[in-house]
Amino acid sequence: MATQQPPLRFTSHHNLLHRLVLSTLTGRTVHISQIRASSPTNPGLAPHEISFLRLIEAVTNGSQMEISYTGTILVYKPGLITGSSTTSGASGTGNSASGGFIRQELPSNCTRGLSYYLIPLCLLAPFAKAPMKVLFTGPGVITSSTPTGDMSVDSVRTAILPLFNQFGMFNNVELRILRRSNPGPNGRGGGGEVQFVFGHQIRLPKTLHLMNPGRIKRIRGVAYSVGVSGSNNARMIETARGILNPMSPDTYIFSDVASAPLLPAPDKNNPNAKKKIGLGFGLSLVAESSTGCLFSADVASPPSGGEPPEDIGKKCAFQLLETVSKGGCVAPAAASTMLTLMTMGSEDVGRLQIGRDVIADPNIIQLARDLAKFGAPGWGIRDAAGENENGDVIVSVVGRGIGNVGRKVA
Amino acid sequence: MVVKRKRDTSVVSRSKKAEESSPPPADNAQDIFRKYFEAQFEPIEAAPVKASEVSESEEDDEDYNSEDLDGESDSEEGWDGLSEEEEDDDEPKVEVVEHKDASADGDELMQKQARKAFLNGTPSLDVLAKSTSKPNSEKDKEEDAADADNLKHDLALQRLLKESHLLDSADDLAPTGKNRLKALDLRMQELGAKTSLYKQKMPDAHRRGINAKAASKDEKRRREAKENGIVLERPSKVSKSNNGHRERGVGGSSIGKFSGGTLNLSKQDLFSMKSTPSRSGRGGRGGRSGRGGRGGRGGKGSRGGR
Repeated sequence: MATQQPPLRFTSHHNLLHRLVLSTLTGRTVHISQIRASSPTNPGLAPHEISFLRLIEAVTNGSQMEISYTGTILVYKPGLITGSSTTSGASGTGNSASGGFIRQELPSNCTRGLSYYLIPLCLLAPFAKAPMKVLFTGPGVITSSTPTGDMSVDSVRTAILPLFNQFGMFNNVELRILRRSNPGPNGRGGGGEVQFVFGHQIRLPKTLHLMNPGRIKRIRGVAYSVGVSGSNNARMIETARGILNPMSPDTYIFSDVASAPLLPAPDKNNPNAKKKIGLGFGLSLVAESSTGCLFSADVASPPSGGEPPEDIGKKCAFQLLETVSKGGCVAPAAASTMLTLMTMGSEDVGRLQIGRDVIADPNIIQLARDLAKFGAPGWGIRDAAGENENGDVIVSVVGRGIGNVGRKVA
Repeated sequence: MVVKRKRDTSVVSRSKKAEESSPPPADNAQDIFRKYFEAQFEPIEAAPVKASEVSESEEDDEDYNSEDLDGESDSEEGWDGLSEEEEDDDEPKVEVVEHKDASADGDELMQKQARKAFLNGTPSLDVLAKSTSKPNSEKDKEEDAADADNLKHDLALQRLLKESHLLDSADDLAPTGKNRLKALDLRMQELGAKTSLYKQKMPDAHRRGINAKAASKDEKRRREAKENGIVLERPSKVSKSNNGHRERGVGGSSIGKFSGGTLNLSKQDLFSMKSTPSRSGRGGRGGRSGRGGRGGRGGKGSRGGR
């Protein structure tokens, strides 16, 4: 099918990952040009984007990608999503399957948090042929939230993965943080280790009708400090609870103190030298409503330091409140995941209530345009019924009914 | 966080006492508020006498000293004694306010379990439901004992209900003698005994004799009642005991009744004939099974096709 159709043409690096995911899910070849073409210093694909291409290569079978010399043009011809059944292991540096896990190493110049890779991978995993098991390791794994705007791995686990439950995927879904790491100096690199298991593959996601945001029932969170004193956790928790407790008495924030990851740093005198990397602390908060809608907030200490934990706790609590105040049944961070899964669902109309500010986000609008380009029917948008003080809208999404190609063959 | 739990009670009481004797300037403002309040609503009834009593008793009782274990508090106690004497001087007292974090007071074990449950790999927020469902070991033992007790009581009650007709004098739950044997018999039958204890094997002549005796006794009772004009219960109908055995000669029919050269089929016979194919497929007279010798004259039992 993909061979006959001409490739879909896109420009710029915006939404690159999502386009690649959609391409893989629909089986359409994409041609993306003008990737940072106007940048005189760093034209072409960025290191984290290359890492993602490697990841896609590892979890699929038969995908081809061609990158121009300058890296400004990418042609991607998707293959089948196989999951971790590949015993042959992927070619290239650092990718190999061991113990059923695809081992994915991220380079040390990575500035993005791991959630940058995890969230697109979560979209691919349900449609894989075999359970998706990936072990992220290497000197570029940052588990905390980053200044580049990625959420922490904790938030992915507590705010993104539970959403798959609503689409009928709940078995054997795990995200284990084996080693924590904040971003290293200048926000580059880390030393974390994360296991991702997605063992519930399906033909088609269930049609979703989520139109009752409910009220916030409970708030959970994790305060983490890596290589620094655990009292930072206590201070963050104290401040965040001071703000949140009057509004939601069922608030629990757990504290996780980890030692700093060690990375090999060989020098002339000592080839076995190691250095600590990824020091810092941060807070991840998740609010759950009575109808199971999740809202998350993430703040971590900046790599340059100089911010007291009280400020982090306060910022995070306020960020959570802001996210909740945007309304709707889905948080901004999860909206694109939800909408994509709904599009991949059966040929039925799913409905989702979304806050006006959430859907007005440029990324979501771009997602809608991309989906249209990939052949998905347009969204129907109308005002939500009932007492609708936030001005929420209800988005009706028609599924494409294609679903899991690998599953169909198997 | 220095814990001063014993002190604050006495301190509060002191402030109350001071209020009574001579109101400090702060109380004036309160009085103004109070007057305003009373003008608006009903007067507030104050009960200062009772409060003072409470404070006295609290100060009198000394046994709390033994509860304090840390040495630091010992010195404080001595100091307490001194300040008690000075109480009358209306000296401004330091009020100890203890601010305790709500998060810190939960029991540690539960916190740990909840933390473990939350920080494992699964994407779920249900931590407290899981952690609270795990029972404590002591509690578990207690509950087990209570459960066993309840089960015992339950069994006793069930037995009482079933065997109550045996108990003429319902004073003892553990029957003795004849009643005990009867109860035992009932229980055994309930548990699946084939025959009753009282169904004995005996010569046929004995059984006939017993039956004849019982029949004659009953007959006599009824006759006497009839003579005296007493209405008795209707005699229980003794069914004709054919035990499902059909009487037939050699070459008799397997169905119906052959008499006077005609085969008479009852309604039941007709029904059984009609429903035979569905109900008992390959039962009947052997027929298809090819083992004609066996199916033969089985009567009801063999026709049932079970």
